[in-house]
Amino acid sequence: MTPADNAQFPVESKWASPSPPLPQAGEGWKEGDVVAARALSQRVATADGTLTILFDIALAVQAGDTLAVTGASGSGKSTLLGLLAGLDQPSAGEITLLGQRLNDLDEDARARLRAGRVGFVFQSFQLLPALSALENVLLPLELAGRADARERAAHWLERVGLTARAAHTPRQLSGGEQQRVALARAFATDPEIVFADEPTGNLDADTGARIIDLLFELNASARTTLILVTHDPALAARCQHRLHLVAGRVAEAVAA
Amino acid sequence: MSFARIGLWLLRRERSAGEWRVLLLALVIGVGSVSTTGFLGDRVKRAMSEQGARFLGADLLVTSPRPIDAWPAHTLEASAALEFASMVSRGDAFQLGTLRAVDAAYPLRGEVRIAERPFEAGAPRPAQPPPGAVYVDQEMLTLLNAAVGDSVQIGEASFRIAGVVVEEPGQLAGVFGFAPRVFLRADEVDQTHVLQPGSRLTYLYQFAGSADALDAFSTALKPQLEPTQRLLGSRDGVETLRGAFANADHYLQLTALISLLLSVAAIAIAAHRHAIRHYDQAALLRCMGATTAQLRVLYAVQLLTLGILGSAAGVAIGALMQQALAGLILPEAVTRLPSLGIAPVGVAIASGLLALAGASLPALMRLVRVPPLRVLRRDLPPLPVGAWLSAAITGGALLVLIAWYAGDAKLVAGFVGALAALVVVLAGLARLALVAGRGVQKISYGPVRFGLAQMLRHRFDSTLQLGAFTLALFLVALLTLVRSDLVDGWRQQLPENAPNHFLVNIAPHQQQAVADYLAEHRLEASEVYPMVRGRLVTKNGVPIADTLPPEARDNNTLRRELNLTWTATLPANNALLAGTWHGDRRAPEISVESNMAERLNLALGDTLGFESGDLVVEGRITSIRSVNWESMQPNFFVIFAPGALDNLPASAIASVYVPPDATTVLPGLVRAFPGVTLLALDKLIANIERVFAQIVAAIQLLLGFLLAAGMAVVVATLLASLDARQQEAVLLRTLGAQRAYLAKGLWSEFLALGLLAGLLATVCAEIAMALIADRLFDLPARLHPWLWLALPAAGALMVGMSGWLTTRHITQVPPMQSLRALG
Repeated sequence: MTPADNAQFPVESKWASPSPPLPQAGEGWKEGDVVAARALSQRVATADGTLTILFDIALAVQAGDTLAVTGASGSGKSTLLGLLAGLDQPSAGEITLLGQRLNDLDEDARARLRAGRVGFVFQSFQLLPALSALENVLLPLELAGRADARERAAHWLERVGLTARAAHTPRQLSGGEQQRVALARAFATDPEIVFADEPTGNLDADTGARIIDLLFELNASARTTLILVTHDPALAARCQHRLHLVAGRVAEAVAA
Repeated sequence: MSFARIGLWLLRRERSAGEWRVLLLALVIGVGSVSTTGFLGDRVKRAMSEQGARFLGADLLVTSPRPIDAWPAHTLEASAALEFASMVSRGDAFQLGTLRAVDAAYPLRGEVRIAERPFEAGAPRPAQPPPGAVYVDQEMLTLLNAAVGDSVQIGEASFRIAGVVVEEPGQLAGVFGFAPRVFLRADEVDQTHVLQPGSRLTYLYQFAGSADALDAFSTALKPQLEPTQRLLGSRDGVETLRGAFANADHYLQLTALISLLLSVAAIAIAAHRHAIRHYDQAALLRCMGATTAQLRVLYAVQLLTLGILGSAAGVAIGALMQQALAGLILPEAVTRLPSLGIAPVGVAIASGLLALAGASLPALMRLVRVPPLRVLRRDLPPLPVGAWLSAAITGGALLVLIAWYAGDAKLVAGFVGALAALVVVLAGLARLALVAGRGVQKISYGPVRFGLAQMLRHRFDSTLQLGAFTLALFLVALLTLVRSDLVDGWRQQLPENAPNHFLVNIAPHQQQAVADYLAEHRLEASEVYPMVRGRLVTKNGVPIADTLPPEARDNNTLRRELNLTWTATLPANNALLAGTWHGDRRAPEISVESNMAERLNLALGDTLGFESGDLVVEGRITSIRSVNWESMQPNFFVIFAPGALDNLPASAIASVYVPPDATTVLPGLVRAFPGVTLLALDKLIANIERVFAQIVAAIQLLLGFLLAAGMAVVVATLLASLDARQQEAVLLRTLGAQRAYLAKGLWSEFLALGLLAGLLATVCAEIAMALIADRLFDLPARLHPWLWLALPAAGALMVGMSGWLTTRHITQVPPMQSLRALG
């Protein structure tokens, strides 16, 4: 495969080079970690050669903890989120999610691992336009095969204060309302971990603040592990742990 | 909830999405088209197999132009009938009929249904009428303006109409029979005095019995049959008919297939857009834990559901359409059958699913391969599906469909070749047209310029739309032209006052009287030619078949009896090509028509032997003539010198022009010469035209599907570009363009597309017509000015409407809302 091909389909870029040396002891997964990574690197081939997005990252997050990944645009924070959630394969290093070594799992096995146990909140909401608010919340419950899906979906929609708008489609909802639906969707399956990628990025300050309040409130009451990507320092400050990335390297790690 | 159910759930929620609708619509059109012909074909096939042994009215049928007296010994049931043409008249009304004189045993198998009154179902009865009576069919009754109980004249005898023939064995074969049917008693034929020496007669000998007895009988009979005599088993009759029908059925099916293939194009485009619009959905589902296999199930179930819904709707439409088609082209005997068979439903649904799968699987395969990371990085494309694999899936499905409908390998190859050539030509023409469009765009202004620019920018789409619509319009135009041109062209070629009636079966003793009658009524008539029937058997003493290469032996000229004549003067519309005209030399000399000479490899100096009855007459070829067959004069392949045929039974033939206002002449002639058969060319031509028009109407009905499929392609391609268009429109509106400006731009684009398609179709149709007229029918090529107006107008209207209806809302959405929707 030529570098140009690789650039187009970076998801194929696995284990491009020999495995790097193992990371220091203590950085790997240990009992109680929901997600952990060590010696994590991500490289993609571009037209101008190989571009390294992440260098030798190590982290571990315990159940119920909250972690903010901060950094400027292009610092690699979304890439890290994608790797931790098993949406992509790292070029090097090891990731353990929910007790499973992701390196040993293929794409479909990682998907099975996520089903019902991992929630997501996105910057662009990612609601299905043809489904109503209630049905969008229902979707992950149905995918996970939950028996009381409909009641749970209604319950979570009530938790985000949108019962009255249950039948509305995303088009009929404001940005803040859409993100509230997305929050309900993320928590509806009682996941063990929720990944949030710039959840306030598309919202104005006021709405964003209310969404954040709601996110932390839901997270606290559900005791979910939360990994949050943001460039907003105020938001990051509300997390127990913070990881600041600069050009793909950990510039600062703050533990609670 | 299983993924199959989630698939259905999502499908239900998205049912109003444009792609699903177009996909479904295209599928309905494609399946409707093939199921229409499928139902029709199945109906005729079932009618044929239902008739089975009863088709011949017997287990074995021997036909012969002469009576057969000596039969091998047998214990079979037997019946003899005689078929001939004769005039049937009632007062001033007269009509040529096909008369069948039958004995009490006819038919041995199957039944003849006779009704008391017209348009009744009737009851099975012996075909032999009571003494002094005849049975006639509905058509004869109408033409003679007669009712059951009335008397009709046949030759010199009068008969009472005792009933209406509703159904008889072998009726299917008579779909295109031109003369209405009359049954009379075999023992009463002589009273009519219509049978002349030299009359064209068919003796029908029917046999029925056990299989062993039939086998023994036909084995013994075969060696003694002459070439003009035919032995038909019950299977042969149906098989012959089935062969003829299978051909017609094939071409109808291929016409339908073209619609299905256009639908495949529309489906492929719609499926592609559907996939692109669902990349995010697929990525989200994978993110939430759906595996590739589960997504596959989800989308496969959606596709299958649409396939079944679309096919079912298509089959329903096909069922309705075939009823209309059947009314146009099928005889009543077939339409009485229950119209819908089960088999074509299966075939149509299978074709629909195959077309759908072939067209949309590559797109859906991409959809399933969307990386979950796309939820974070929206620009990530799905993993590529091998181009070869996609091509193999679509190409394979197309090939299977074509092979399915075309049947044999040669036709498949021809069809694929023609299709490929057509695609290349149309794509080339469309590109050229677009280049021309660029010139127009440069000199246009305002919204028109904008619209044309749009058309040129979406060059691939425009080519596809142009190609699809040109093909549809072209085929519709071609068919219409073939129908009107060929019949009209042939008519126009006839000189004014060309003879419009033939008088045949003129007995030798009547020749002078007939000539006098015609002269007395100042009718322009041809010479009266004597006519002897004989079959060409030898060339230079050798059986003629042995002198020909094997592939030429199956020549019809060898199997049938030719009309031979003699005359001293070269007929007016004949031209001598070689040799010398025999004139009134009383020698065994003959003149042969040039095409026949060429076909049978005959040259000046060859001696030909003709068998007529028990006699063989020989003549040496001393001249070769060309004949103007369109002259409407009595024309002959072989003309003898006078005297050579004197010992043979002869009748005479003449042609005559009867002006339309000379209404009393013909009834008078029929009354004065009851044995003479009058062939009205007007009626014959009208009959041919009627049959032709029915077939063309049937095909045009199918072309309706083709036009609809063409529109589906236009709509599908437009939908595929809708997002980009909407973005442009929003941008333009933000920059201050008014709604009307955008609307005018859209209209200009689609009208121009339709206009171009119409023009291209016109050019193609004119060229094709010129080729057909010149190569196949020897008619001068001519232009059709109305076509140059009608096709572009039709194209502009249809493309304009479908284009505008698909895209109009992009001019109506406020810019802000569009920006948000696209955000």
